[in-house]
Amino acid sequence: MKAIVLAAGEGARMGPFTASEPKVMIRVGNRPILEHVVRALAAEGIVDLVLVAGYRRERIMSYFQDGKAFGVKIEYIVQNKQLGTAHALLEASPKLGSPFVVLNGSNILDRQAISDLIAGEASPAVLIAESDQPEKYGVVLLADDRITRIVEKPRQPVGNLINTGAYLLDASILPVIERLVAAGRHDLPSAIENLSESQPVRAVRTKGVWSDALYPWDLLKLNGEVLKSVHEQKAGTIEKGVTIRGKVSIGEETVLRSGTYIQGPVAIGEGCEIGPHAVILAATSLGNNVHVGPFSLVDNSILMDDVDVGAGCTLQDTVAGMGAKLRAAVVAARGRASAQIEGEWHEVESVGGLIGEDAELGSGTVVESGTIVGARARIGANARLRGTIPNGGFVV
Amino acid sequence: MCGIVGYAGYQQAYPILLDGLKRLEYRGYDSAGIAIVGSDLKVEKDKGYIAHLESITEPVPGSLGIGHTRWATHGPPSKENAHPLLDCSGRIAVVHNGIIENHGELRDRLESKGHTFRSETDTETVVHLVESYYEGDLERAIRAVLHDLRGSYAIAVVHADEPDKVVAARHESPLVVGLGTDENFLASDIPAILKHTNRVVAVMDGEVVILMRNGVRITDFDGNPVTREAQRVTWTIEDAEKGGFEHFMLKEIFETPKAIHDTLLGRVAEPRMDSFLRDGFSGIKLVACGTSYHAALIGKYVLEEIARIPTTAELASEYRYSKAPADRPLVILISQSGETADTLGACREANRRGCKTFAIVNVVGSTLAREAQHTMYTRAGIEIGVAATKTFVAQIAGLYLLAVQIGLERGTLGVEEANRLKEDLRSLPRAVQAVLNAAPLIEALASKYAQARDVFFIGRHLGYPVAMEGALKLKEISYVHAEAYAAGELKHGPLALVGPETPVIAIATRDHTYEKIMSNIREVTARGARVVAIGTVGDKDLAKIVDDVVYVPEVRALFAPIPVSVVLQLFAYHVARLRGCSIDKPRNLAKSVTVE
Repeated sequence: MKAIVLAAGEGARMGPFTASEPKVMIRVGNRPILEHVVRALAAEGIVDLVLVAGYRRERIMSYFQDGKAFGVKIEYIVQNKQLGTAHALLEASPKLGSPFVVLNGSNILDRQAISDLIAGEASPAVLIAESDQPEKYGVVLLADDRITRIVEKPRQPVGNLINTGAYLLDASILPVIERLVAAGRHDLPSAIENLSESQPVRAVRTKGVWSDALYPWDLLKLNGEVLKSVHEQKAGTIEKGVTIRGKVSIGEETVLRSGTYIQGPVAIGEGCEIGPHAVILAATSLGNNVHVGPFSLVDNSILMDDVDVGAGCTLQDTVAGMGAKLRAAVVAARGRASAQIEGEWHEVESVGGLIGEDAELGSGTVVESGTIVGARARIGANARLRGTIPNGGFVV
Repeated sequence: MCGIVGYAGYQQAYPILLDGLKRLEYRGYDSAGIAIVGSDLKVEKDKGYIAHLESITEPVPGSLGIGHTRWATHGPPSKENAHPLLDCSGRIAVVHNGIIENHGELRDRLESKGHTFRSETDTETVVHLVESYYEGDLERAIRAVLHDLRGSYAIAVVHADEPDKVVAARHESPLVVGLGTDENFLASDIPAILKHTNRVVAVMDGEVVILMRNGVRITDFDGNPVTREAQRVTWTIEDAEKGGFEHFMLKEIFETPKAIHDTLLGRVAEPRMDSFLRDGFSGIKLVACGTSYHAALIGKYVLEEIARIPTTAELASEYRYSKAPADRPLVILISQSGETADTLGACREANRRGCKTFAIVNVVGSTLAREAQHTMYTRAGIEIGVAATKTFVAQIAGLYLLAVQIGLERGTLGVEEANRLKEDLRSLPRAVQAVLNAAPLIEALASKYAQARDVFFIGRHLGYPVAMEGALKLKEISYVHAEAYAAGELKHGPLALVGPETPVIAIATRDHTYEKIMSNIREVTARGARVVAIGTVGDKDLAKIVDDVVYVPEVRALFAPIPVSVVLQLFAYHVARLRGCSIDKPRNLAKSVTVE
């Protein structure tokens, strides 16, 4: 069986973390979200993939290449923005055979979820999940285990079971899509709903993992989810006096300096330099080439590739994009916060700083809970940040 | 510089030989041919790509044969000059990679004995020589021939009367053997055989190979057997697929951040102390060809500034034939492939002169890596596009590391300064990523200037070799006449060429020459030239005096060549694409230049 993975979206709600990369390339557990999807597919024996790419597709192509390194074979299709996912699916259909899997590359799912979806190859089927924010998705209405309607982003509550955007489909969907595209509708859920009028569409629930990040702080949840299955690995140099508890993965050529304390699950990439006397607590991912200076605490956070954390910093529930530079004594402690994304306010239970790629925070910067620091922003020493600093912004 | 393949086994040789040749096209592609021994010896060859040969020929039956893809050195690309070449009787066929230096005298001798030559190639002398020595034993005849040959070669020979074997020999040109089951392979490079087997034996200089279906024998030129274990190759052909990109060159440019990361990996946090670099020399000589030579020119500034040691850069083809000075510098040889003939020759010459030799090479296990006393590998990964991109950047990154190591070893660089340098090195992959993020802007600029007939590049200090490399890229893949000048030299002559029709690309990142380059830019704009400047982000003055600006992130001035080079590579790529050039296989060029 083959799969088509949709990876063309920008992910504007992810704020500074999609300034130069599509949402599917955001790292959780040190791997792009899309890599978790690809590996889950490969584990279920689905190795022929068509990847629909668009926004910043070079980032996807240069990471995944032809898929060989991930045990799959990838062909790319470039999505025409105006024509949407439905059209991309039509374009890919000659390559897909029947039935085929359709997945959203920006949602984490595990092999159990895929296995449940494709069980018995009984198509068409839709993977559904419970959500505490159903108003952000398409809510499915069921009769037994068959889909009767998909209500997109309901204003009034109609249920909490949502369409995850993972489907098992067959060639019968193609004429439906063609009809809809001709009528100017380019989304897949409409086609599914339409299809359900002429034949039963199964709704599949899974005991496996399906998880989505709507907003930047949701990345921490995804990170925790994937770190549950982190593989223990101890490469690199671990100096005397380093304490490691729980499941920890340490990449090649990483150096853990004396006095450092690590509580897993934690994933540390290649070529990092940690400590001396740094504290890394669950559940934290440090990408490749990350530097954590002496006496710094990194707790339940994501530091992507090339992040540089100076001496004496405190980072809790914090996400830092690639290449962010935090000088000495930067504090981003966790707390309850209200944060604004695309004009909409959100109450967040527990969050630290959300720091965009290549941002530079001067010594002694205090990042109040829920602050969003834009990509490439420059923050002078001893600043106190709250709210949203735009991409490329300056704070003196 | 060509590619050769050979096969002896149970399958049809025709598709195997053609597929192998296609994977060697990076070595040359102006003509191609095969010789297959089935019921008789049959040769098919023509001018043009291998796909062309395939389209005009029917599969030739037979399960033993040799093949060749050519990059013309002696005689223009033509059907007659294409390999394999035949003897007078048409019973013997030869393919050859390299140059037979004494082909003139050999040809005279053979012609006087009545041999008729049908091509202008140096190679044809080999096949007539084989004919003249042949007395029913091909292996013996070839051994005799080898004693007559001077130059560099990897040859493979078949004879219609001995349909069970390919005999091959190597001297200073690459050759590998692939071991299969009931079949064996021969090729100039590993990708040609990797589809069939990953068990590979490297053939060394001065060795003869007898390739048969059921076994491979290797001997020296005198016939003494050589035993050598097969190595297992762990990478695969698919490593070299384009993965969604339109061209290998673009794919490889986008791989630059990873190439830098991998080159620096493990060498920044914990530099390996290396006493080889500590003493025994008072100066350094960097030796290379082509793009690697531009890395060497950058390396000169880098080594002098970081390690405080007098350094010169020289072209390998010049160094080899210059006289040895009295003192013995550390000779650093730079080559992507590690097979570049002139660089190899320079390495041998430096070893002979008693110098310490240190190689910076990308291809693991290449000849240069074996012959230099010490090797640092750039870990840029396989590069298929003929224009060097990510490997050039990785070479520069390697030179920074080397300068830091030499400085630390010799005590000319303080540990605290080394720490700061290392911290700044870590930021280079991000700086390149920022350039890549601006790729659409560079593409738009390229379309504005793509139709220019001549383009000038100017720079000062480190910007000068970077300008040279930018000009080379534009020449080699876009076929646009491009010249680079040290900006201070403009008014000593080249300024006379500048006018409204000649765009100038100026490297004007912030460093101690910034004010000077600004006046040079004014000199050319005053002559009506349109100027594209590459400047440091945040520089507002530049935009006021030039037509277009591409900004690169602020990095330590010494490291600026890396982001700036990537801008120029993208510029050349897009100009070439807009002009409809054959980007991954530019005319007249090949990836690794294994002839002198």
